[in-house]
Amino acid sequence: MPTIPPLLHIENLTTSFQSNDTVVQAVRGINLRVNHAEILAIVGESGCGKSVTALSILRLISMPPGRFDSGKIKFNNHDLLSLSEADMQKVRGNDISMIFQEPMTSLNPIFTIGDQIGEAIIQHQSTTGAEARKQTLELLYKVSIPSPEIRIDQYPHELSGGMKQRVMIAIAIACRPTLLIADEPTTALDVTIQDQILNLLSSLKEDSEMSILLITHNLGIVAQFADRVTVMYSGKIVEEATVDSLFENPMHPYTRGLLNSLPKDDNESKLEPISGAVPHPAFLPKGCAFHPRCKDAMPRCQQQPPLTSATKENTHKVACWLYEEWVEDPQ
Amino acid sequence: MTTLISIRSLKKYFPIHEGFLSRNTKSVKAVDGVSLDIAHGEILGLVGESGCGKTTLGRMSINLIKPTSGEVIFDGVNILKLDNPSLKTLRPKMQIIFQDPFGSLNPRFTVERIIGEAMIVHGLADRLNLKSKVAEIMQKVGLPNSFMNRYPHEFSGGQRQRIGIARALSLNPRYLVCDEPVSALDVSIQAQIINLLQELQEKESISILFISHDLNVVKHLSHRTAVMYLGQIVETAPTKVLNKNAAHPYTRALLAAKPSTNPKKSSDHVPLSGDVPSPLNPPAGCHFHTRCPEATDRCKTERPTTFQLEERHTVQCHLYN
Repeated sequence: MPTIPPLLHIENLTTSFQSNDTVVQAVRGINLRVNHAEILAIVGESGCGKSVTALSILRLISMPPGRFDSGKIKFNNHDLLSLSEADMQKVRGNDISMIFQEPMTSLNPIFTIGDQIGEAIIQHQSTTGAEARKQTLELLYKVSIPSPEIRIDQYPHELSGGMKQRVMIAIAIACRPTLLIADEPTTALDVTIQDQILNLLSSLKEDSEMSILLITHNLGIVAQFADRVTVMYSGKIVEEATVDSLFENPMHPYTRGLLNSLPKDDNESKLEPISGAVPHPAFLPKGCAFHPRCKDAMPRCQQQPPLTSATKENTHKVACWLYEEWVEDPQ
Repeated sequence: MTTLISIRSLKKYFPIHEGFLSRNTKSVKAVDGVSLDIAHGEILGLVGESGCGKTTLGRMSINLIKPTSGEVIFDGVNILKLDNPSLKTLRPKMQIIFQDPFGSLNPRFTVERIIGEAMIVHGLADRLNLKSKVAEIMQKVGLPNSFMNRYPHEFSGGQRQRIGIARALSLNPRYLVCDEPVSALDVSIQAQIINLLQELQEKESISILFISHDLNVVKHLSHRTAVMYLGQIVETAPTKVLNKNAAHPYTRALLAAKPSTNPKKSSDHVPLSGDVPSPLNPPAGCHFHTRCPEATDRCKTERPTTFQLEERHTVQCHLYN
């Protein structure tokens, strides 16, 4: 067990949304730790609650319709959910920052990129405009934007998608956050550009020892860039492990199904898809949400949601009745 | 294997008008002199980054976009020279599946009408036997018949893509363009659709042009792969050869950039620098020289021609001159 408290510790978080008469629980009681200087990946399919988890950490869920039903989000041992809005504003961008999926729409088209990076610096550090500009240039250099002296005065439409994502990263790291949340940072980009951005992120992580919470649906990115990984399905964490352990020995039938769905590097055998489709979050099946699609489902799975069990060393956790004999999660 | 469809020096320039009274005309060279053959029953994968002209090429190959110049010979007939009535009789033989399963189905039509309309237009079904024909096709793509009277919004992405496939297959095509058919879908659903396409292709031996930016999917599905960069085909080879002995520096970079799902396979490659240049102003010489780690002075001025490396392996690069 790590004796140092984790940088981020989410305990039993439930986030739900009210729509007309129905309540949709997007995140259903998750426990999650992000340690210092590690890359934790959250993988899952669309609608599994990975983005809502990220937005909950920064309290960017609009309320109503959203609300937190239970849980704590401890960041450096302070519960973010009990902070005042003014205190939370100091955390955002300063201690925890975020990059979004769509670099095309996340930048303001009517301000130059220098203005937008400078805004983050001026907002959180009491600096002058000239000092902010100097820091902005350094940041543009750091995120490897060619000829930063010219780019600083350009508008977002003059930049390519990859460049815009670099600008987003520059804004996110402007105040040297200890936690960077990257929500599908490369999904909208081409493979060669994705490669550049991921390399940039991991070298920034090495230099500044920040932690990254990487949200993605791409298992290849997880395998190559993350240290630990959690798999989400229908608002719950179904498996959590180190990357090596997860890819070598996937436990949960859903994780196995995901890996078998992928075309392999050196294997031409037929793909084995998971049958059926992700259930609608307002009409989740009883028991384990995955049981209608699960090959190994037992009668019990239809009745009781599984508990989370862990291996003895607590390196691999899984929420599935198949592993009942394991140690109960010491979380 | 005999050739079903043969694309010869196909070009598409989209004009861009600028200035007072649109006096200055530039053009985007979306597809700039592409030649490709697709054999009977072959799946040809077409990979490349966004904006390289994959979709334009795919649509021109079935005459949905009129090329600026070049030829598309389908089963011995140049389809670009046909008049409308003769083109219509050929249309059922060439079909397309679109990328976006949400935008490509008419929201006001029932599934029966979406799948059946083309059969009625082309006289393959009449009002009497339409239901049974539609039911037959729906069964083929794994959709329950009870869905027939429902509307597209009632379906998930994977099911909609099945409807799109059913619509394309309703006319018994011999050539099918699949334009990123799985990129809008989740991983577990992707595999269902890939398997479905593979089964249908094996059963009916349709020729497929499979357009994708996902190298793993193309590798899994296609017999031969063509790599496109800024409107040109830079390399073609049987898929196995391409993955083992990629010749063009761009192909090699693409393969290296693809993150492997094996965490033990560390990626110690140097990522390709720079962005894809604008097709409005492509670099002189070889279009790839601005990003190529092996570029020489010659690449900056002279456009490479296509070299034959082995049987069925061609590359457009000065390294192999």
